[in-house]
Amino acid sequence: MYDTIVIGAGLSGMLAAIGRAERGEKVLVLAKGHGATHWSTGCIDLLADVDDPFAGIAQLASQRPNHPYALAGPAMIEQGIARLRAIGEAAGYPLAGSLNRNLLLPTALGALRPTAFAPATMIAGDARQLRDGRPTLIAGFAELRDFFPPLIAANLRAQGIAAEAAQLTLPPTGRQRDFSPMTLARLCEQPAFRAKLGEQLAAHVRKGGYARIGMPAILGLKHATEVARDLQNQAGALIFEIPTLPVSVAGMRLYQILEDELLRLGGHIQLGGFVQRAEGIGDTLVAVFSEAAAREQRHTARRWVLATGGILGGGVRATPEGHLRETALDLPLQAPDGRAGWFAPRFLNEQGHPVFQSGVRVDQRLRPLDAAGRLVYENVQVVGGALAGYDPIREGCLEGAAIATGWAVGQH
Amino acid sequence: MDHIELSLIQSLDHCIKCNICTSACPVAAVTDAFPGPKYVGPQAQRFRHAAQPVPDASVDYCSGCRVCNQVCPTGVRIAELNARARAQIVAERGMPLRNRIIARSGLVGRLSSGPHAPLVNFTLNFAPARWLIEQVMGIHRHAPLPKASTYTFRSWFKRHKPATNGRRPQVVYFHGCSTNYYEPRVGKAAIAVLEHLGFEVIVPPQRCCGLPLLSNGDFPAAQRYHEYNVAQLLPYARAGIPIVGTSTSCTLTLKEEAPELLGLHGDDVRAVAAGTYDIFEFLRNLHEQGRLRTDFRPIERTLPYHPPCQLRAHRIGRPVLDVLGLVPGLRLRESRAECCGIAGTYGLKREKYQIAMDVGKPLFDFVRASGQDLALCDSETCRWQISGATGVATRHPIEILAEAYGLAV
Repeated sequence: MYDTIVIGAGLSGMLAAIGRAERGEKVLVLAKGHGATHWSTGCIDLLADVDDPFAGIAQLASQRPNHPYALAGPAMIEQGIARLRAIGEAAGYPLAGSLNRNLLLPTALGALRPTAFAPATMIAGDARQLRDGRPTLIAGFAELRDFFPPLIAANLRAQGIAAEAAQLTLPPTGRQRDFSPMTLARLCEQPAFRAKLGEQLAAHVRKGGYARIGMPAILGLKHATEVARDLQNQAGALIFEIPTLPVSVAGMRLYQILEDELLRLGGHIQLGGFVQRAEGIGDTLVAVFSEAAAREQRHTARRWVLATGGILGGGVRATPEGHLRETALDLPLQAPDGRAGWFAPRFLNEQGHPVFQSGVRVDQRLRPLDAAGRLVYENVQVVGGALAGYDPIREGCLEGAAIATGWAVGQH
Repeated sequence: MDHIELSLIQSLDHCIKCNICTSACPVAAVTDAFPGPKYVGPQAQRFRHAAQPVPDASVDYCSGCRVCNQVCPTGVRIAELNARARAQIVAERGMPLRNRIIARSGLVGRLSSGPHAPLVNFTLNFAPARWLIEQVMGIHRHAPLPKASTYTFRSWFKRHKPATNGRRPQVVYFHGCSTNYYEPRVGKAAIAVLEHLGFEVIVPPQRCCGLPLLSNGDFPAAQRYHEYNVAQLLPYARAGIPIVGTSTSCTLTLKEEAPELLGLHGDDVRAVAAGTYDIFEFLRNLHEQGRLRTDFRPIERTLPYHPPCQLRAHRIGRPVLDVLGLVPGLRLRESRAECCGIAGTYGLKREKYQIAMDVGKPLFDFVRASGQDLALCDSETCRWQISGATGVATRHPIEILAEAYGLAV
């Protein structure tokens, strides 16, 4: 019997679990597998389309009282981010940025993406610095598919940034094929490998006079700050990482520091535990059942946090009949009435598609409500992407809302 | 097409190519011979058809550790896809003599154990003999082979007299080949604990669970073993008597691997699967029902513990940590290593030995760094691999539990 079981091992679930474990509770994180953290950039997006995200959040909260930011409140946003940054700092993986000013960081397509906090290994890529007229080199490896320096550089040039591209020669590794971001991250942790990389970067800097070098975010899994610093010293230019397509090493680092912290606090994590159904008595959730060999495993706890994500994270699924279902506890969902209401006519609709606002409707304490507004379970709280009434990806607030709500339920 | 086959085919569409599995795969991390679960699993599967030759044999380098299944965010059953693909290769191309032999752990055990065991053990420790075996058989000269026992568990159990008599709840004990032929002490500890908890222990006739055959791709032979075991265990399963095993890979095979890989879904197979428990899963259930004795003697030790892949594949959490956490003074440090590398018979093979050692390195480092002279692990081949690589004695957690109960084994 646990004090709290958190279902889902993304950013919101891990922060909720850390918060509860810090208060001395016996905590289990139960998750189907790795998820959203491993797909995401490793940055903390608070709100897109604004210069000052914190001011934007205050305005949004006053207009949309059911938005996760409004429910969690500004203090939880600030404290949650502060805690996450402290965890990163202690792990030697600092996150830099500000609540009041968005950074603009290049993507793997060379677009500029607003985000509030980024790992120190990415920070030199902020477009305000890149526009200082000094040349920037985008460097990659032909072996790393889905990261094309010429494309990135061309798109940056189109946005007024003096960028050029180069493919590096992969130092000899004994490996011949299948260079995923993870393979390269492991290689970068080897000092000899990165020294050879540094020599090449230094040669490019001597030739092209580059002030900065953008590289795919593969600079190590556990010692990224150190790898970036070594390369920077050797190259004589600032290095910044650009998040790759999945699997995202920078996202994995974020998960890793959270997992380390939770285990340090005595929390437990069970991966491969896909929660399939709930057992309740009245408005109390008593147990959940996770899929297991030959028969389900029953888990009991006093309190529960649902952090399974939305449509992207797998917490909300569509059935072949055209209904949306919350996968773990079968909670009522707030969603468009029928399939016809899911999508706007235009694929790239600027307001997004209604289906992506689907999720669990909650009360002020983030507890699940049914369509009539009645409490479903008094001892369950819902966080992150599973919440209704917002489109975290389009609004650019995926991590911010996850942190704010995850931290809020971790505190009370 | 059975329903597992159907669900495997459907699960191909669940793969979103995110590469989380490939990034977590301990084998792909150390060798080019295995391109990773995503490639040989959901991708290559689209090119495999019953009537056509197998397009790519690299799936044979899958160790079957199932880390891919564990981390997959969309529920693709990669390990099952790979095991079935290997069986298709074996059905098409036949099986090397070496694999035929090492996959029959019951037969090998029967030939090795007994009064002549010291001679067998001497030979298998004798470098020139191991060199010869490597040349002739392809079993790596340094691969960790277990020491054969001078007596079998079953012969001991026949003579064994329970301390108390009278009507007691019954459990069936599935010992598996390793306990019978190599480590009877594990079975003796299990019997001692179960009897201490007030059970009458029944040990019906049983054969190898068939896992080594499944993982080497000989499905027809595995099916014969499984059917025999089901026939022997069924009366107990039907009577509601739990079947408890100390080999976490045998219990997984009875519960899931054999039925799912072989496509056996009859009521009998299901009844045995549903009645089978890993021993610490069983003990944890007892504790949750308030039926586990907690008359423990304190054990003031901090020991490294590795939850083996085959235990993680049960998807039941860490029952050893939950139960041994009740013993005063005893602290277990869980390894976060993905795999010890051996994967049953995988690391014995000449061409895979080094891969297995490279896969296991983080675990070996963890065990060595603990500074302890004892490590715990639920799976026999993993214990032998850990001990072989580190020199640290590695035991089944049930042995520590017996000690905590003060039971002489």
